[in-house]
Formats: sequence, C-alpha cells, structure tokens
Amino acid sequence: MPEPTTDPGRGADHPPSLGLGTRIAVLFAVGGLLVSLGIAGATMALTRRQLVEAREQTATVVAVSNATRLSNQLTPESTIEDLPTVVDSLTKVEGGQRIIRLGDDWLPAPELDHDDLPPDLVARLDARLGGRLVTEVRGAPHVVVGIPLSAFDADYYAVVDLAGITHTLDNLQYVLLGAGAATTVLAALLGSWASRRTLRPLRRVRGAAEAIAGGRLDTRLGPQSDPDLDRLSDSFNEMARALEARIHRDARFASDVSHELRSPLTTLMAGVGVLEARRDELSDRSQTALDLLVQDLERFNRLVNELLEISGYDAGVADLDLTEVNVAQFLSATVAGMDGIRLDLPRDGHGLVIEADKRRLARVMANLLDNARRYGGGATTVSLECGEELVIAVEDDGPGVPDTERTAIFDRFSRGSAGGRRGADGGTGLGLSLVVEDLRLHGGRAAVEDRPDGRPGARFTLRLPRPTPHDTTEDDGR
Amino acid sequence: MGQHLPMTQPPPASPQPATTRILTVEDDERIRTAVRLALEEEGWEVSETASGEEALESFGTRGADVVLIDIMLPGIDGFEVCRSIRRLGDVPIVMVTARSDSHDVVAGLEAGADDYLRKPFDPKELSARIRALLRRSRPDETRPTRIEIGGLEILAEEGVVRHEGTDLHLTRTEFRLLVELATAEGRVLSREDLLEKVWGYDYFGDGRLVDVHVRRLRTKVEPDPANPRYVVTVRGMGYKLQA
Repeated sequence: MPEPTTDPGRGADHPPSLGLGTRIAVLFAVGGLLVSLGIAGATMALTRRQLVEAREQTATVVAVSNATRLSNQLTPESTIEDLPTVVDSLTKVEGGQRIIRLGDDWLPAPELDHDDLPPDLVARLDARLGGRLVTEVRGAPHVVVGIPLSAFDADYYAVVDLAGITHTLDNLQYVLLGAGAATTVLAALLGSWASRRTLRPLRRVRGAAEAIAGGRLDTRLGPQSDPDLDRLSDSFNEMARALEARIHRDARFASDVSHELRSPLTTLMAGVGVLEARRDELSDRSQTALDLLVQDLERFNRLVNELLEISGYDAGVADLDLTEVNVAQFLSATVAGMDGIRLDLPRDGHGLVIEADKRRLARVMANLLDNARRYGGGATTVSLECGEELVIAVEDDGPGVPDTERTAIFDRFSRGSAGGRRGADGGTGLGLSLVVEDLRLHGGRAAVEDRPDGRPGARFTLRLPRPTPHDTTEDDGR
Repeated sequence: MGQHLPMTQPPPASPQPATTRILTVEDDERIRTAVRLALEEEGWEVSETASGEEALESFGTRGADVVLIDIMLPGIDGFEVCRSIRRLGDVPIVMVTARSDSHDVVAGLEAGADDYLRKPFDPKELSARIRALLRRSRPDETRPTRIEIGGLEILAEEGVVRHEGTDLHLTRTEFRLLVELATAEGRVLSREDLLEKVWGYDYFGDGRLVDVHVRRLRTKVEPDPANPRYVVTVRGMGYKLQA
C-alpha cells in the first residue's frame, strides 16, 4: 500500500482520511466483490433452475410412464394388497418414492405417508386433474407429481427428493464464494498496484514540491510518460518558474536597494570621518550631534551590509570563500583583547583545521558575543568540543532564553522579550538570523540551550561537521 | 569586524620632501570628493579622476605613490585600469569593490591589485590600508640583505630577485611576500602570519590575499608554477619556502 499522503501535522483541521492510493485499492476490491457476487448469484440461480427443471421433467416423464403402466396392470378387481407386486415392476428414480391411492386406501411410500402430500395437489387430483409442485415435504424440498388414473378411482403420486440438488448447489455456492473472495483479493492487489503506478508521477510532483519548499528553486519535473501527466508537469514547471522568478526578483530588489545605499553610505562615512578628525574645531553642540551621527551611521552601515547578506541567501547566491581555518587559533583571535571570557579548548584540538569562510565565521562569533553583551551581561566562556561534530559554544551569565523563544530568537528582526530594552546601542535585529544562515552554508546549525552546569544563563551552540582527516602535512616545520 | 590597525597619528605636515601622492579613480563625484577630503586629512596629496581613461592618462604623465581604483567604472573597467597600471609599474594598488560578489575580489587581485576594500568603507580603514602598503614599500634594516635559496637570490635592499642569474620582475607585495618566506628560514608561515607581516592585517584578514599573491609569485619564481619547487603549500598550515 502506498503510504498515506495526509500530512499528520495538518490533521487538526482535516480529520485523517484514506489516501488516494488506498481509496483506489478499496474501490477495486469492492468492484471485484460486486462483480463476483453478481456472477455467483446468476450462476446459482441459473444452475438451480436448470437442475430443478431437469429433475422435475425426469420425475414427470417417469411418473407419467409409471402411471400408464400401473393403469394397464390394474383391473377393476384389484385391491390395495395387489399393488406392491405391481409397483415393484415400475421404473425407479433416484430419491423418488411413490404413494398410490386406490379407492379409499393408500399405499404409502417407505418414508412418506399420504398425509405428507401437499393438500393443494391432493385437491387437484380429487378433481381428476394432474399436477406438479415443488414444495417442502417433511422439511426438505421435493418435487411432487400427481397423476389421476382416469380408468380407476386411483391416483399416482411420485415424490422426488431434491436434497441431492441442494447438496450440489451448496457445493457450487462454496466454490463460487471462494472464487469471489479470491477475485476480491486479486482486485484489491490489482488496485493497489494500479494506484501505485498512477501515483508514481504524483509522488515525483510531491518530491519536486518539497525540494522547492526546501529552497532548491530550480527544481523541475522531467517529461512524463502520459499526455495527461505531461500537462500536470508543464503546469507545475510553469508555477515553479514563476515562483523562482518572483523570489529572485524580490531578492534582487532587496539587493539592489542595499547596493544603491552603499554609494551614499561611502560618502557619508568619508564625510563624517573628516568631521571626526576635526572634532576639536567643533562646538559642544556640534560634537554631540556628530556623535549621534557617528553612532547611527555605524548602525545603518551594519544594517545595509546585513540586508545585503540576507538578500544573498534568499537569492541563493551566497557562496563561501573557503580557506583553511585553524579553529583553536581562530577562537583565540576572536576573544583576544576581550576581558572576562574564558576560552575552553580541548587538549587535542590545537591542530584542528577546517575548510571555512573565515569572514562569515568571524561575523558569526562577533554576533554571538555581541548578543551576549547586549542581553546576557557579556560572554563568560567560549568553548570548543570535538566529538562527532565540532561544537563551538558561547555562554553568558544573563537570564537565559526561555524555551518558547529558542526558535524565534533566530528569526529576522526578532528581539524576543528582551526587545523592550533596546537602547541607543541596539543591534540591527538581524545578527542571529545571519548566524543561522552562515552556519547553514557551512553545513552546520545554531541553537540556544541551558547552560550544562545548571547555572542561569544562555549557551549558544554552533555545530559544524567534523572535517574529514586529510593525508597530512609533509612537514610541520614549526 | 576588527580589521582596524593601530592608528598612528597623521603628521600635520609631511616631513618628507615630496608628499605622498594618491591617485583615485571613482565615477561618483560625491564619493570622490569625500574620499579626497578624508585622504587629505592624512596629509596626502590626492589626484582625483572620474574614469579609467583619465586615470591612465594622469598616471602616465604624473605617476602616483598609491592608486585607489573603483571596480565599477563607465568605459574601461577597474580591472582593466588595474592591469594597465600594473604593466607600467609596481605601484601599490587598492581596489574598491561595491559588490559582495567574491569573484570580483579574486579577479581584482589577479588583475594586479595589492589589497581591496568593500564599499562602504571606513575612511580610517582606507588610510590604514594605504599606510600599510607605503610602509612595506620601504626597506627594513634588521633583515639580512642577501638571501640565497636554491637557484633564487634575493637582495632585500635593492629589491632584486634573481633566478639562476636572471633578474625577475616582482611587484613590491610579491617581493615582500618572498622576503618574509625567505627570512622564515624554512619554517611554515600561516596565512595569518603572512597577512600580518606583509599586509598589516590582524588574524581576520582575507586569506585569499595571500593565496592569490602566492599564485602570482609562483608564476614568476617557479620554473613550473603548477608543480612549485620553492614556494610550497603545507596543507592545514600555510606556506613555506624551500631550497
């Protein structure tokens, strides 16, 4: 069976229903069941009719011939005692018995008496008419043929048991039921196979849609084997193209805006730089104004740069300038000159070299340290662990990050519950989202958790894949 | 991101007889003017040009001590200006790139630039870059003046490198890189070591500066640049010069 296509995450608004594949299989099974039931029913009815008719006819023919012979052998003087000898010479039918009335006397059959005869038929014969009836005799179906012997005051009844036919029909019924069940199962299997075949292109569509949702915007469907499906894949590809174009246009717009801001920013920074160099010539008021200008220019500059970076990620054009980075040296250089930060390096980690974009990694660390300074009272420990992956952690002594904000804190322009505290040195609100993107480019991920020592404070972790060990240095000449 | 260098206070008036002359190429008039003002604050003389053609003409007639080139120019682009000036001399070139596209950086370095800045840049950073380029242009007395490694002969004072008796023409940055590797006496220098010694960057400088300059150096000093014999890469560590 194909796996259910309903998304369990969205089960809240839609009760879980059977998947299309399952439905097709069930439909096939029900169809198979109905068809086999129909065929079985028709077969049963036809067979029953034919068997019963044949038996009736045989019974009638034999009864008529027997009645004629009986009539020929009787004389008006014959009494009921003479009958058994006459009757013995009559033709026998399997399962057949006969009851004969002569005057007021009845010659019963071995197992039946004249009380067992259907009264309707007896009444018919009393009126000197022949008749035939299929009816229950002693709880079992029988054919009863009644023939009046017109020359005498006598009737000939033949009672033929239909139990043999019922038995045959019962057997047939079992065979048909078995065939029906087999047909149903076969139909279900066929349905399941057909649905899988039918759904295979749909699964490809699903895969492509998931790829696009995952950011691989250039995903397209290949040609299908069926004109109907070709239309689907054409429409899908058209949608994907439009989506890609639109996303790129939006990202390019953000990128263009940021680019356009770079030229005036360059002028502003150079101009403000000149003013700063001549700060002493300015009045106190002008100096205050200049300080404001310098601070906000710095923030503006950061914001534009970060927006440019983000538009790069969104357009999928962000690439890594990979160089060899000695992680221990990198972390030492990162915290160099910063007071109050303990650097915790593993003893064997000093030769660890990864391929990374040093500029991006440096920005990641700067953002984490900046975040710790802003919201956690400053980082206390920067540590490195080399297990199955590299884990770089930045801890602070601040209030920590509540569970509910641990994902949202990495969103763009998110400041969490600490947002209200934003002062003149507030960040751009993009720092942690850049951390996530930069880590993703490196095949790693960022998270925030509790400090492992149980003390209050946040622990931001960066997990990077461990480098594959390379066939090493021909010479370590240090 | 901590690329700031310790600032030395600019001399109000240059003690040197000839002031340092900086040629800038920038098509945006406002940026050009603001950058000129900022550079003049450092006591340098600035020649402004608005196009590549103008810059090449100015450089051809009057020369310059440092050239600052914006990559995005109408007409001849910054890369071409860079290559043309490089053909005329070994003057230090700083390239200004507006794009965050990293290909521009490598292309600019390969066109002959010694260093680069991204727009928008802090004028203090620009001055620091220029000072670093000027500083290393001057000889250093504490070093041995003559070094011989294999077929290479380096005369640090004269700025001359010979390979088996033939003079090699290196830019000042390439020469300085070679001298640093040579004076390390076979030890491996990391990219960060070289960034600090040659360019005056801290740890976070761009390692591609080193990689591209090493590549250019190899094309000049190596008999077979694809299989370097002298300037060898030590994986995970850096570069070293061997005999």
